[in-house]
Amino acid sequence: MNRWRRSVGEIQARRRQVSECEQAQAALGKVIACFQQMTTCMGSNTDSSSLREELEETRTLAHRICTGLHRRLLALLVETEQGQEDREQVERLWVLFLCCLESFQQDLRRVSTLEEIFPLTQRKDRQALVNTGAVGGGPEVAARAAIVKMPWVTGDGEQRPDMRGHVLEIDGLIQEMLQRVNIPLWSVEPMQKAWAEACKDGQDEEDTLEAMMEVEVVSQANRAFGCCSHSNCRLGCIFCLLN
Amino acid sequence: MTIKLIRDHGQHYRPRMACLKKVEALVIEMQDPKSGVKSFEQKRNATSIPHVIAGQDITAWITSHMTVDAQEAQALGTMLVAYGFIYPLQDPKTLILRPDGSLYRCQTPYFWPAQKWKAQDTDYAIYLAKRNIRKKGILDQYEQERYRKLHKWLNHKWDFIVNQAKEQTRAGKARMKSDRVVFSYQERAYWIVHRPPPQTHSAMDYGVDRLIDPNAEEVKGEAYTLIWCRVPSVLLIVLLSCSSSLVKHTMTYQSHDPFLTPCLPSNPWQTDDDTYWALNMPDVDLPTKMTVERWSYGFYELLRDPRGRADFRLFLKKEFSGENLAFWEAAEELKWGAASAISEKAETIFKTFLAPGAPCWINIDGRTMGLTVKGLQHPHRHVLDAAQNHIFMLMKKDTFYRYLKSPVYKDIQKKAISPAPHNFTDAQLEQNARNRKPGLYPSVTWQRQQKEKVRTTTLIDIKKLMANKLDRQ
Repeated sequence: MNRWRRSVGEIQARRRQVSECEQAQAALGKVIACFQQMTTCMGSNTDSSSLREELEETRTLAHRICTGLHRRLLALLVETEQGQEDREQVERLWVLFLCCLESFQQDLRRVSTLEEIFPLTQRKDRQALVNTGAVGGGPEVAARAAIVKMPWVTGDGEQRPDMRGHVLEIDGLIQEMLQRVNIPLWSVEPMQKAWAEACKDGQDEEDTLEAMMEVEVVSQANRAFGCCSHSNCRLGCIFCLLN
Repeated sequence: MTIKLIRDHGQHYRPRMACLKKVEALVIEMQDPKSGVKSFEQKRNATSIPHVIAGQDITAWITSHMTVDAQEAQALGTMLVAYGFIYPLQDPKTLILRPDGSLYRCQTPYFWPAQKWKAQDTDYAIYLAKRNIRKKGILDQYEQERYRKLHKWLNHKWDFIVNQAKEQTRAGKARMKSDRVVFSYQERAYWIVHRPPPQTHSAMDYGVDRLIDPNAEEVKGEAYTLIWCRVPSVLLIVLLSCSSSLVKHTMTYQSHDPFLTPCLPSNPWQTDDDTYWALNMPDVDLPTKMTVERWSYGFYELLRDPRGRADFRLFLKKEFSGENLAFWEAAEELKWGAASAISEKAETIFKTFLAPGAPCWINIDGRTMGLTVKGLQHPHRHVLDAAQNHIFMLMKKDTFYRYLKSPVYKDIQKKAISPAPHNFTDAQLEQNARNRKPGLYPSVTWQRQQKEKVRTTTLIDIKKLMANKLDRQ
């Protein structure tokens, strides 16, 4: 009787941990998406030192979630053996976590390159920023990222690594994860079907977005499409030997 | 996590794309508020989006800033659009610069092409999913096809992709309406460059991945390195020996290279007029001046060209020393011919050229002769190599220069034709394209070659000739 009660308690504790990890995974996905939206503003006319600061804060948040999630997922994997109900879910979370890390690392690499091209240290650097037509973009997205809540409390005073160090750290993390745990990536079945994300709600608003993207084509007299004035040219590109 | 292939023969590096850095610098200069391109606002449905530039302004700025003429400015501008640094608003799938009032906008640096990273399939899948979320059924046919394929290949990541698509859409909704429009323009332009629609060409296409990482440190040395790229039909072996001989070779052959100098009368691939090929057939009576000039570059060039070899044979016939060339040709035939015919050919060659008292006895030194005769007892493809090389050097050092000074060569130099370049109008080009006919069958040319060979290889029997002369006396 005692043993049964203990194992039920264990199962419940594990379920709670797994749901915590799922929430953390969702939070990580949100933070990474916000980070990506903010990096698209880098180097453009909306770039500013405040945007850079917000990027740093978002990066710190992501770093905290990553380390916590990594530790907990590893512990869960060690605990559960093959064949138990939660194992499949934990494996799925593991693979999703790897994908998130990879995507985040790519964005971080881009950010470090863009920081080199567009340093905002001097006033004249502002002239080099590309006029892209955007007007705002940094603050709202950053606010969205900042309200992401982690399901656990980090009492640890972890040091925030700098950009390059962070990239290398993630690299090492991914390598370690792949070597330590032997989960084949293709054994994970997705829960979403193809085309399932297209749904009815929210489409009226987006219709206007599509309508706004349509710009009238300036009517051309002779040319249907072609890169040069040669009548045989049907290529829409510059690599045309008929010139 | 991306599943990586192992069996790629080590070829997973992108080549150098030095042009991208230079174009980046140009685009940054365009942004200068004082001396850059003037931009204006695009007004749509009571919102206005700034920083739109017109095609003619771009071409005018490039013309003045880089001091080039209008045609080159147009080409440069098209390059900017093709690489994705500037995107068109009105006809987004055609990546050219129209020098009229068409509208363009600069791409944000996040979406600039870079040598270091490729556009990833995962990101493309997220983009397609985002568009799907925005409006069902908006994907084009080819995009739906790619979506299906990506769903199959990236199946293990599909949850992540859908999740990211939803999160990115929600994050985008936090922004202002005009910014969302701009971002969707930018994304669409990026993916048109990096995942081009079918039957269009992407400027980022570079063929096969390379074996050597261009970003790695180079080891500079004088030794020559072999660079082998696994391009399907062409084997590229580039010898990087001391550069002066390469420069000399390039300067000599510059006028003969159809990529560098337009070939006379006209390039048949471009104008559909095959006079060039007809003038360079191996059995033509009068060769072109270019061919004749090429014979004087080196002995091997002369031998390589069948018309040149025929001419050389004529010269040797006059000099009564045709046995050298005949031996060289027979040795070539042995080397490249069928394995079953080797012993037979070896015997004929021995009887004709090498045996003491043979009708066409060649004059090689005693050591080579001894080696060759010994080797001919067990003939293989390369028995005659030593003798052939000796004869080749003999001909090259002695006979070749006499040939170049001979009346035969000078005669042919005078008679050689130098065709005038064609200047076809567009109507004539279309006419040519319509009048295209199939060329000669290879079997016909081969039969002609065989007939020619039979006609010319009636070897002059020296003994009989001397006997005739003695008889007459």
